[in-house]
Amino acid sequence: MRKTTQWIIVGLVLCMSVGVAFSQGLSPPSNVTAVDTPNDDGSSVTIKWDAASEGSGISGYQILRRITGAGLEEIGGLLPAGATSYVDSTIEKGNAYAYIVRAVSDTEATVDSNETAPVKGSDEWFHTGRIPLFIAMLLFGAAVVWNIYDARSGKEIFVRRIPGLEAVDEAIGRATEMGRSILYVLGLGGVSGTATIASMTILGQVARRTADYETPLRVPCRDPIVMSVVREMVKASYLDEGRPDAYSEENIFYLTSGQFAYAAGVDGMMIREKPAAVFLQGTFYAESLILAETGNSIGAIQIAGTDSEHQLPFLITACDYTLIGEELYAASTYLSREPMLLGSLRGQDWGKVLIFATLVLGVVLELAGVNWITTLLQRVG
Amino acid sequence: MRRQVPLILCFVFGVVMMLTQFSPHSFSQGVYEEVLSWALIISPFMLVLGTVTLVQTHVARIRRRSEHWQYSFIIFAGILLMVVIGIPFGPQHPIFVWLFNNVQVPMDATMFSLLAFFIASAAYRAFRARTFEASLLLITALIVMMGNVPIGDLFWNTVLSGLPWDNAVSDTKQWILDNPNLSARRGIILGVSLGAISQSIRILLGIERSYLGGGD
Repeated sequence: MRKTTQWIIVGLVLCMSVGVAFSQGLSPPSNVTAVDTPNDDGSSVTIKWDAASEGSGISGYQILRRITGAGLEEIGGLLPAGATSYVDSTIEKGNAYAYIVRAVSDTEATVDSNETAPVKGSDEWFHTGRIPLFIAMLLFGAAVVWNIYDARSGKEIFVRRIPGLEAVDEAIGRATEMGRSILYVLGLGGVSGTATIASMTILGQVARRTADYETPLRVPCRDPIVMSVVREMVKASYLDEGRPDAYSEENIFYLTSGQFAYAAGVDGMMIREKPAAVFLQGTFYAESLILAETGNSIGAIQIAGTDSEHQLPFLITACDYTLIGEELYAASTYLSREPMLLGSLRGQDWGKVLIFATLVLGVVLELAGVNWITTLLQRVG
Repeated sequence: MRRQVPLILCFVFGVVMMLTQFSPHSFSQGVYEEVLSWALIISPFMLVLGTVTLVQTHVARIRRRSEHWQYSFIIFAGILLMVVIGIPFGPQHPIFVWLFNNVQVPMDATMFSLLAFFIASAAYRAFRARTFEASLLLITALIVMMGNVPIGDLFWNTVLSGLPWDNAVSDTKQWILDNPNLSARRGIILGVSLGAISQSIRILLGIERSYLGGGD
């Protein structure tokens, strides 16, 4: 019995010695710093340390946190061996926190770093990482505004021909001659969507012409708010053309909010009413081809326009004319020809030239082995 | 006056919301979230407005005996049924859930599945090799389609096994997607983004105001 006890004691001492020896082989994480995370609302602290050397025996790290005057608490679980930073997003504003990074070995031996100086999270008023974006936005905004006010002087501004918009009169004329209606689909976007607003402004221009020609204009809406705005806009267009009697509120109505139910409803209208012209302008998703192919099957002249680049191939295939991306935003300007709106188009082109120049310069510099434009863009991204 | 107040509100809120994107401070983020939550208040009004308009439209259809006016009764029956079950028992009630899963979901799926047939008919028209562009589109589409299915590479690697380039079909497909396709998409996205910013500036400055409707 005594021998057995002796053997157990010897075994335990040996195990502890090996453990201690191994733990002594672990070096503590070095250069541990804790700083207030930059460009945030003061809700986090970033802890950083140097990467462990190969063969250090470290299998992971634990982060220990101490609120001034209180005990240590473990946060965040076990981090992988390759980790060199941790963002503590569980801090409370006003408290100061000190951190210890604990290295853990395969045998669960541990060694702690020195405790960092206490740090508090603080609110930042400006996101310094977004300065290039802010400058770019200011430059672009200034270019657009300058061109808008320059256009007021009466300078003629050239706008390239957009076939889809040239065809608007043709489509309305065709519907008038055939004695059929025009169907205007605003897409699935809400009233806050820029594409929906662009679509509504085109509708305003289309409504002016339908008021002149007394052609029925049917607008099924997916959003009741969009419907209310559209009713006001179309009514205003009819009033401006001196044809308030031709305006019918019933032609602008709420259909449904369901994506495919909306598609089914619009398809049903196309099949039953056989409009001579169909406008598909706005934001579209998977229903775009269902609508466009049905319109194609009834022989309507179709003018589409969307900023959803995934739907463009479908619309280009199934429609007679398609406004691609930015052409949708330029449409109201193109149709109204108001000088100030035309000025904004020129400002937009300046932005494109600037981006194109940056791309070309970036490519040339990259080929020359200089990558500061790439680095800048990556930092902004 | 009727236009000036909305224009001023649009400018103030537009500029404030834009600035919150550049300020991570808890105050500005609070303002951002608060304004977004105001937008949610509109939802109940939207529901009422939508229901009233829907009822008005279909009552008018029934009164006038428009084509297929009988279907309007189905609309009313559907609305009534969902309201009678949904309001007192809530949307988790088994009957409500059953109706949703066995009526609305299959109908939505039916419409969605039509897309497959429409893609076939649209692709047929698009890929008719009548012009150089259409021929190019046809060849590209064939490569992408074959590259997306295992049989494409299987055919290349077995039937044309003497050639030095393995998995050429899927490699070519990936090159098409990563280079010409992505370049064109990014070009469109750049144009769309600049167009959207330009339109937003026009709206903020009150130059684009047609969306406000009539009245001064």
